[in-house]
Amino acid sequence: MDLLAKIQSLSTSGMSAQTDRLRHVSENIANADTPGYHRKLSAFEQVYQAGRPTGEVAAGHTMLDQTALERVYDPAHPMADGDGYYQGSNVNLIVEIADAREAQRSYEANLKMFDHARQMKASLLDLLKR
Amino acid sequence: MFETLDIFKTAAGAAEHASRRQALIAQNIANADTPGYRGQDVAPFADMVADYDTPMRHTRAGHLQPTSMGAATETILSDGMTSPNGNTVSLETEMMKAAQTRGQFDMAVGVYKSALNILKSSLGR
Repeated sequence: MDLLAKIQSLSTSGMSAQTDRLRHVSENIANADTPGYHRKLSAFEQVYQAGRPTGEVAAGHTMLDQTALERVYDPAHPMADGDGYYQGSNVNLIVEIADAREAQRSYEANLKMFDHARQMKASLLDLLKR
Repeated sequence: MFETLDIFKTAAGAAEHASRRQALIAQNIANADTPGYRGQDVAPFADMVADYDTPMRHTRAGHLQPTSMGAATETILSDGMTSPNGNTVSLETEMMKAAQTRGQFDMAVGVYKSALNILKSSLGR
């Protein structure tokens, strides 16, 4: 029974990590046209307790993508420089959509495991019935 | 009294083994996007039963005693394709293993339940 509870806490940690990732994706997409915006990303890492991995996962620190910002030609833009260019964002929508899709798939897999554990618990409790 | 009946012991061991495996699968799925994470698995239940049939002999009080059938399991690293970030988990394989393990668990619980029913009807209830 405690193993089944552990499954549920592991799946929950996975789901919240994927939610964090999806939040970054939506922030990036919302700011795709913001001048000077650097894409946010975070790497997942294992959770350690007393030096041992607990098996749970968490989204790590938020980092900014350091690739060069896009140079957009628009002389009418208020932030345009002498050559008529301004710095856009380095968000690539294709990458963001792919990332969102992957996060969603992983979230669903975690949810499936959570449901498995719930049903396994229910069938154990069923043994107590006459 | 029920633990001394072999069928209950085996069924309980199989159910425990299945939940242990399911926990590792859940861990693998949760870490499916963690860089450098290696997927884990446990040895099949059949190996464990073979070990259990020829256990270490318990001749002195200080000797270790095997507890239950599904309990003594060490985790092994499952082999799979390594992605560029060093992760070896494949979600598809894990989902397939989860379905298999679920079947094993259901079978163990089913065996336990029907053995319980046989016991009950032999008692005339």
